[in-house]
Amino acid sequence: MVLPVYKASENIDTIREAADRIRKDCIRMSTRAGTGHLGPALSLAEILAVLYKGVMRYDAQNPKWPERDRFILSKGHGCLALYSMLSQAGFFERSLLDEFCSVYDTMLPGHPEIKLPGVEANTGSLGHGIALGMGMALAARIDGRDSRVFVVTGDGELQEGSNWEAAMAAAHHRLDNLIVIVDRNKLQLGDFTENISQLEPLADKWRSFGWGVRVVDGHNIEELLSTFKQVPFVCGKPSAVIASTIKGKGLAIAENKVEWHYKVLTPQQYEELKNEMSLEELCHE
Amino acid sequence: MNEQKKSTRSSFAEALVEMGYKNKNIVTVAADSASRYGDFVKKFPERSFNVGIAEQTMIGVAAGLALSGKIPVVTSYANFLTFRAIEQVRVDIATSGLNVKLIGTDTGFSSAWLGFTHLALEDMAAVRAVPNIAIIDPADAAEAYKATEAIFKYEGPVYMRLRGRKEEPLLPVAEKSFEIGKGQILAEGGDVLIVACGGAVYDSLKAAEILQSKGMHATVVNMATIRPLDEELLMKLTSSIKHIVTVEHHNITGGLGSAVAEFLAENNPDVRLMRLGVKNRFGTAGSEDMLKKEFGLDSESLGSRVERFLKDY
Ligand SMILES: Cc1ncc(C[n+]2csc(CCOP(=O)(O)OP(=O)(O)O)c2C)c(N)n1
Ligand SMILES: [Mg+2]
Repeated sequence: MVLPVYKASENIDTIREAADRIRKDCIRMSTRAGTGHLGPALSLAEILAVLYKGVMRYDAQNPKWPERDRFILSKGHGCLALYSMLSQAGFFERSLLDEFCSVYDTMLPGHPEIKLPGVEANTGSLGHGIALGMGMALAARIDGRDSRVFVVTGDGELQEGSNWEAAMAAAHHRLDNLIVIVDRNKLQLGDFTENISQLEPLADKWRSFGWGVRVVDGHNIEELLSTFKQVPFVCGKPSAVIASTIKGKGLAIAENKVEWHYKVLTPQQYEELKNEMSLEELCHE
Repeated sequence: MNEQKKSTRSSFAEALVEMGYKNKNIVTVAADSASRYGDFVKKFPERSFNVGIAEQTMIGVAAGLALSGKIPVVTSYANFLTFRAIEQVRVDIATSGLNVKLIGTDTGFSSAWLGFTHLALEDMAAVRAVPNIAIIDPADAAEAYKATEAIFKYEGPVYMRLRGRKEEPLLPVAEKSFEIGKGQILAEGGDVLIVACGGAVYDSLKAAEILQSKGMHATVVNMATIRPLDEELLMKLTSSIKHIVTVEHHNITGGLGSAVAEFLAENNPDVRLMRLGVKNRFGTAGSEDMLKKEFGLDSESLGSRVERFLKDY
């Protein structure tokens, strides 16, 4: 057993601070750039904070450390949250966040790219992450590593058939080092998932595909932490965590609103919310 | 210059609603976002379907509808419509020449900061590799409207490229009719022939003005249909003009530049050709203007590249 290089913290307050920081960073970065998928990033804050602060093993100073756990943001459009979390975890300087969608050829574009330290795969086209994760999980098995692979998908994203092809294959290969977290925020681009193409009963679907399944509150840090500690839920089966979340969580005007899929605050709105939400200066010179 | 502005996407949606009233067989199939159809979904809910985020299924369903006499329209970000679903496009639609209208949006540099998953710079190449599908890349919103009307009068599969939601200036040209397979001469001059399509036409015209001010005279053709290519027009123009430049917001492999090069190599090799566009690389994050500059496709870069081409050869 390799010792974790990143010392996982079980300090709930530390994790909560990281999640708050994610929210504030997402709001600030997207307002500065005048673009970004804000709603989809805000539902991810606790999931990412728990994974990076309390669960995953990695070495930010050595991002390619072979024994690390892998993380794939299959819903790549949620990258604002990932960028903030990776900077908090020490993969790059915090000042780089200011480049989000505002500098030509930035390492922080509208979907994550592997050129940014800490990003494990190029995503942005939905429905790719589970298969990518399965490949990494297979490689870990071949190499005899106990690395685990965490993949976050959207819920609407699960309408892509490729996810279910990979889900079936991963179960067949008994990849219990593969964990999929579904950001179940009930909304997709154009409407609620259940108004577009019904996903429920979602937990049953995963179970019937041969996965161990837990349904949790995706904003409850204690619950997320204790859930991730129990993976694999069933020995020999990949694990699916359906995390119930709120799209736009933490930004009142955006919560649960379809139009906030791809919308950002105006600088004026930002100023108005700054004190109440204790946000940073929009631009620090 | 006439600085009226409009997006190709909104023009398409308006024309689609008009056509929807005229032809009850027109149906739309969406993969999540139905906003690209504008008011069509509200006006004709019984003829509008959403299959969820599932582009391959969207194409398959459209093919089934077409096999049953309907005229389906499908839309998505161009890359997900073409690359993601190209097998469905090829087998389900193209092999039987089904009457399906494929509308790829956010092409060229218009998805800007979204990066290379969304920047559609090879979509025409994917579709051009598949036989049977007409390919249209309208130059501006006015042409997108007319092209939308035209694709419904045309029987068979069509791939039409649109750009984003951003309003773009309309071309400073008098109204002309749009016909599938016909290029349009927008400016005349004997020194160089600039053949452009889609979002590249506007800057090509501006580049021609710059050249004009330096005493070089360009003929500018809006080649809105990439397939079938207006070979007759190319033959006619290249009988007198020997310097040809193609301009596209697309990879120079597989798009307009390729189509023109292939035709001229076999039919009129007695010319010099320069293909301008994206050369064997992916797009990256940047504003549309930054990307155009980076790839040398803004009007100024175009002007100087054409000038150099005329001087060097
Ligand atoms: C293959 C593919 N099709 C379409 C899109 C466009 N798109 C981006 S986000 C999105 C909705 C995603 O919804 P969901 O998975 O529920 O994620 P959320 O934003 O709710 O977190 C769509 C359709 C895409 N990026 N990739
Ligand atoms: Mg969702």
